[in-house]
Amino acid sequence: MSLLPRLALQQLRTQLRTTEWRALLLASWLAIALTTLLTLLGDRLERGLLRESANILGADLVLSSSRPLTPERLEQIHATGVDQTRVVQFPSMVSNPAAQDRPPMLVSVRAATAPYPLRGEIITEPPQPGHLPTPGHVWVEARVLDQLGLALGDTLQLGYSRFTVSAELISSPDRGTGFRSFSPHILIDRADLDATGVLAPGSRASFRVLMRGDKEAITALEAMLRPRLADHERLLALRTDQPLTGDALGNALAYLKLAALVALLLSALTILLSLRRFSLKQYSRSALLLNLGLSPNQLVRVYLYQLLAAWLLVAVLGTLSGVLVESAVQGWLTNLLPQRLPAPTPWLYFSGAALGLAMLILLGLPPVLSLARIPVAHLLRGDAPPQDRRARSLQVACLALLSITLLLFLQTPWAALVLLALLLVGGVAFGYIAQSLLQWLSRPLASRLLLGRLLQLRLRQQRKWHRLQSAVIVLLLTLLAVVWVSRADLLAQWRAKFPVDTPNYFVINIQPWQKEGLDRFMAEHRIDSDLYPMIRGRLNQLNGAPIRPQLTDEQLQDNTLRRELNLSWMREQPAHNDLLRGQWWDATPERPQISVEQDMMEDLGLKLGDRLGFDIGGQQVEAEITSERQVEWTSFRPNFYVIFSPGALESYPTTWITSFRLDGERKQLATQMLEAFPSLTLIDIDQLLAQLSVWLKRLGDSSAMLLALTLACGLILMAVTLLQALEQRRFESALMQTLGASSEQTRQLDLLEFLLLGLTCGLLAGVAAEATLAGLQLALLDVEPRLHPWLWLILPLLSSAFFVGIGFLIRRPLRLDQCYRLLRAGT
Amino acid sequence: MDMEQSTRHPLMIEARDISKHFDTEAGRVELFSRLNLEVARGESLAIVGRSGAGKSTLLSLLAGLDTPSDGSVRIDGQLIETLDDRQRAQLRASTISFIFQSFHLLPELTALDNVRLPLEIRGAADPAHDARHWLREVGLGERTDHYPAQLSGGEQQRVAIARAFATRPSLLFADEPTGNLDEDTGAKIIEHLFRLNEQQGTTLILITHDAELAARCQRRLRLHNGALEELVT
Repeated sequence: MSLLPRLALQQLRTQLRTTEWRALLLASWLAIALTTLLTLLGDRLERGLLRESANILGADLVLSSSRPLTPERLEQIHATGVDQTRVVQFPSMVSNPAAQDRPPMLVSVRAATAPYPLRGEIITEPPQPGHLPTPGHVWVEARVLDQLGLALGDTLQLGYSRFTVSAELISSPDRGTGFRSFSPHILIDRADLDATGVLAPGSRASFRVLMRGDKEAITALEAMLRPRLADHERLLALRTDQPLTGDALGNALAYLKLAALVALLLSALTILLSLRRFSLKQYSRSALLLNLGLSPNQLVRVYLYQLLAAWLLVAVLGTLSGVLVESAVQGWLTNLLPQRLPAPTPWLYFSGAALGLAMLILLGLPPVLSLARIPVAHLLRGDAPPQDRRARSLQVACLALLSITLLLFLQTPWAALVLLALLLVGGVAFGYIAQSLLQWLSRPLASRLLLGRLLQLRLRQQRKWHRLQSAVIVLLLTLLAVVWVSRADLLAQWRAKFPVDTPNYFVINIQPWQKEGLDRFMAEHRIDSDLYPMIRGRLNQLNGAPIRPQLTDEQLQDNTLRRELNLSWMREQPAHNDLLRGQWWDATPERPQISVEQDMMEDLGLKLGDRLGFDIGGQQVEAEITSERQVEWTSFRPNFYVIFSPGALESYPTTWITSFRLDGERKQLATQMLEAFPSLTLIDIDQLLAQLSVWLKRLGDSSAMLLALTLACGLILMAVTLLQALEQRRFESALMQTLGASSEQTRQLDLLEFLLLGLTCGLLAGVAAEATLAGLQLALLDVEPRLHPWLWLILPLLSSAFFVGIGFLIRRPLRLDQCYRLLRAGT
Repeated sequence: MDMEQSTRHPLMIEARDISKHFDTEAGRVELFSRLNLEVARGESLAIVGRSGAGKSTLLSLLAGLDTPSDGSVRIDGQLIETLDDRQRAQLRASTISFIFQSFHLLPELTALDNVRLPLEIRGAADPAHDARHWLREVGLGERTDHYPAQLSGGEQQRVAIARAFATRPSLLFADEPTGNLDEDTGAKIIEHLFRLNEQQGTTLILITHDAELAARCQRRLRLHNGALEELVT
């Protein structure tokens, strides 16, 4: 081996014994592992679930509609000659008729027509010959088998029909969009659908046409369809940017990446401080090597080789641990995800190592280059390298490059910048608050204890480091506490805020001919509920003229204009709505009147007396606003933006909706109801929330894991900052002992300082966490903030243990005879 | 304790047959052996010698910061080797002060806080008041809130002198106090040092290689080849 690499390796071997290099390696290791983990997991989730591909779409082009597709539309598509097939997807309850004790389960039903799908394939266990279940058979996902206690060959009830479960659905394309794509799926042949009776006019469902063809035909079809899409239609195509499986998972990934940003920043700061300390210690060595004839260029190469060798070591370890953790997390998510994840893109295995290299080189270059500029006179007079504009610009350029690299990695630059700004502002604020708090807390000690007075001087002496340390620790503990508490607490709290009689079942798609029977069933079983009629209509006119030109751009974005509204009519004012202004109609008014929800009035700038026009199935209906209502949207009762007076809507196709509450034994009534009215769509809110809470918990667990890693980064950074000040601390301790303090006193002083620092940071983190949680509770859940007294105990304890632990791990006691020598050496 | 022993022991320092050697891989290195030294209360003594002669080691032995390999040291009548860590700390706090070549002020503390530090260690009643008084004594009454980095070298050493006298020590060690200062500033520092020393009746032990400075002391010793020689003017 030639001289320079050999020298670099020797240096590294010696340096591995120093704390700053250990911290540097540990921080780089964590950063690389974390990056590898997130990149691999992100890539697999994205390719598996988010990114549109023919395999996921099940076709080249999909037209999706919330209403049955019109014959004209189907004819348009048919005329182009592309292959096509149709599928209907809707939520429904299914049950196991052989196990009456098991409650029915909410699933997403897909009824498809062969050939299905047009792209990709359905994988079942055991493998099935055709692409679809034969009539009378159903394929179901593992979660359905588990929850209903079904085995292959058993019977499953859907609506009026019973199906034989002939295979387990392992993976399938065309899962639909949004939350429904995460519900457990079952697949039947379209030919079996009508007999189930669950789908009737006006039912909530997604009606899709899947299309396949050569590129030109598909492009032409897309170009033809896209400009003519109706409001209830969506076109999903390959290579368009519309995410197929909702934003939820994309948001979750972005959130996890942002959490990782904190860890990466801490690692970068650790590496920066470690390298600065390292380079300070290398002045004499560099001056000597230069003096012995090494050129500055060669010197730079020696140190760069050293950094590269260190990188190689942590790249291997970091990548391996990243891959291991990733496979653990993926295994953990398996039964939650709708399908198996594809293998990661091979080159992404190196992403963590690459980021690690960028961090080491960009942070290492400025100190290494400054070492090459050290004057040989350092050996004689201890001159430092010149700190000119060149050195500073290099430092700024390297930090800027590193920031860009980090932002590119995170892919959400704006969110990352906002987070960065928040962290900076929060950090500075916490640093100063902690410092004032420390001073304030030390005052009573100073008046009672001799040590307390020394502590005040120590607090002044160490104030810069205390600011940095407390900023980092308070931020980390706050984040950790918020994530930890919210992962279980928020959802539970949200649920707890509802009165005990809050409905937990919804029945939708009740057909007019079922209403009477259902009313009777409810009365017989003393189920407290009201049935409300529901008619779909689009708001299109205001005071006799088209509404859109009369509104501002912001108003045009309003939810009530972007989709069809569920309209209702009723004689009596609903008990759970308060009338804010105007008057409820007495009987059947001569001309139609409407009562409008408060936010809609406000957002669209409506006032009593305005006339609104609706397009209901192609016919125009106009009514005057005579009252304004307040609606509690989270009441789990049927709620409507617009309620008509009787007499206006009765002639339009109507379905009915209701909600009610069943507890304990009475939950059996839901099963009985489905038996009596198999075609009803019964939605079990408890099940829905349980599905949601599992997701939230997994997300919370993942972020808690990330934050634990972040905390580890914080710990290393803390060690490095304490180390930075160690020489100064030893020096101060030597001076104090020379001036008359005993070594026991200096030890007690250190202990007191770390303890107070820990307590202060813990208390501040407690306050910050409670404030954040209260904010979340108010803004997100609209519940009364609740305090978490255990946080007030745990956080100060944790943070004190943290400081005292690290402080005493690093602290080396100073013997009296060393004190004077140390002071002399500083001469 | 101090007063009682002070009256009983006219000698501030009494070193009997002290030796210091270090064991290294290459064998034993003997710095000096069987040195004897007596310093009377209120006396000023200069110890001169070339670099590496062991002056600073001798100083740390005489100040009770280190223990000799052989022999015994009494400070103010107390036998150092019989004192534990706490008692030695108490002796230093009540009796001894130091002035160093490179000032050794804590950079994050103001001049006032630096002077307060030893007063706080010994639990003085009103450290801030005393510290202010001593800063005025060295002519820095207007600069109490300045940090060391905002002071010149000479001013920093004046703060160090104020710190040294603030505890009204009976014994003051000054280790090359002008070593880091130019000639003019050094001369002013010496004026302050000897003036306060005279005022307070402190016993002064000065380590220096500056013959002129040494000449201002009542007695001069040279540490040479492990032995102490009395220099006569």
